[in-house]
Amino acid sequence: MTGFRRPSTVAEAVGLLAADAEARALAGGATLVAMMNADLVAPSALVSLAGIAALRRTETLPDGSVRLGAMRRHAENAVMDLAPGPDVVRRAAARIANPVVRNMGTIGGSVAFADPGADYPAALVAAGAAVEIAGPSGDRAVAAEDFFVDWYTTALGPGEIVTGVVLPPGGAGARSAYDKLVRVSGDFAIVSVAAVARLERGAVAGLRVAVGGCGPRPVRVAEAERALLGGGLDGPAAAALGAAIAEAADPPDDVRGSAAYRRRVIPGLVARALAACAAPLEHAA
Amino acid sequence: MSALAVGLTVNGRARAVLVDGRTTLLEALRENLGLTGAKRGCNQGVCGACTVLLDGRPVRGCLTLAAACEGAEVTTVEGLAPAGALNPVQQAIVEAGAVQCGFCTPGIVMSATALLRERPGASLEEVRQGLSGNLCRCSGYRGIVEAVHRAAAGAKATGGKA
Repeated sequence: MTGFRRPSTVAEAVGLLAADAEARALAGGATLVAMMNADLVAPSALVSLAGIAALRRTETLPDGSVRLGAMRRHAENAVMDLAPGPDVVRRAAARIANPVVRNMGTIGGSVAFADPGADYPAALVAAGAAVEIAGPSGDRAVAAEDFFVDWYTTALGPGEIVTGVVLPPGGAGARSAYDKLVRVSGDFAIVSVAAVARLERGAVAGLRVAVGGCGPRPVRVAEAERALLGGGLDGPAAAALGAAIAEAADPPDDVRGSAAYRRRVIPGLVARALAACAAPLEHAA
Repeated sequence: MSALAVGLTVNGRARAVLVDGRTTLLEALRENLGLTGAKRGCNQGVCGACTVLLDGRPVRGCLTLAAACEGAEVTTVEGLAPAGALNPVQQAIVEAGAVQCGFCTPGIVMSATALLRERPGASLEEVRQGLSGNLCRCSGYRGIVEAVHRAAAGAKATGGKA
């Protein structure tokens, strides 16, 4: 017998999860229910987050950051109005699975599950996002880069849930690109690339590039990004960034591609994402 | 052991089911209510054969928990048209002969019906996108896409009353 609870506040949900180590938080169900159907997990109870209005809210914070509630569905995120820069998250959401699954899955559920081949992790790291967490000992926020810890492992502790993500403003001249190499549309990434660049009079004033599907967590090489500052988004420093990410990656050998293949295609995909950031806004990928 | 009582509206009719917390909507429809139109294919949300409408939105029946459907309105392929009649998508699929083994057909019909409600007059590309979550293992996609595209042309003409 699996219990089913539908709390109406975050505090109530956290209390239920903290009281029962075998209970699991249920967001959209797109992953958890599939795992239950496959007998991979058997929670003692499901704590549905669907009745918590606060988790659906989106707001702009005083510093211009946008806070997305954890229970926002991919389908909503795929069409939301975000400024250039943070809109890398919209681009990623639009590439998740297919329209029906996008109707079900939520950003909080996807982030908490932390599948390395999923679309949000690299996009959130490139956006410089923070993940908001509520738990038995209070609320906290963790940078996306530190939130994704290992294969399917996050900074979440027992009884903690993701309540939202905060996307900082991209600033003037910000651009983003998101691309993924897949076998068929909507599949998990063989390699995904998320890039957020800020251009001032054609020169790079800020850059964050993260690659997904190529290791336990999104791969980012900040030193190699810095080498592009003051120059363009192409040329030797751009090529060196792609090479550095390929070098830092720890890709799996699996049915979607070999580790060597993934390393081989990373530089080209990074170059393509940078070119998309350099393109006039209406042509950005 | 079933202990949760869930009240929901299925195809316009108020129903009550007794389920476990882990019972899927698909199981409740098929086993408790005898509505076997939605099919259990992969049970992993991949194939789309279990697609039904939940409060008007297409969802996977196999990834939706019945207990989460309290008060919800569910539409299955059995509820798209009065007994003996077909909705425009079903009609177009029959006319195009876009059925091979038929296992995927109810899910295709549900996804396509939802698509045309949202986008009457959907383009060929929009139809392909809209059906991208429904697998036909007979690989009969060409006929299916053509049929739904033809239904879309009709839906546009009638203002989206698919």
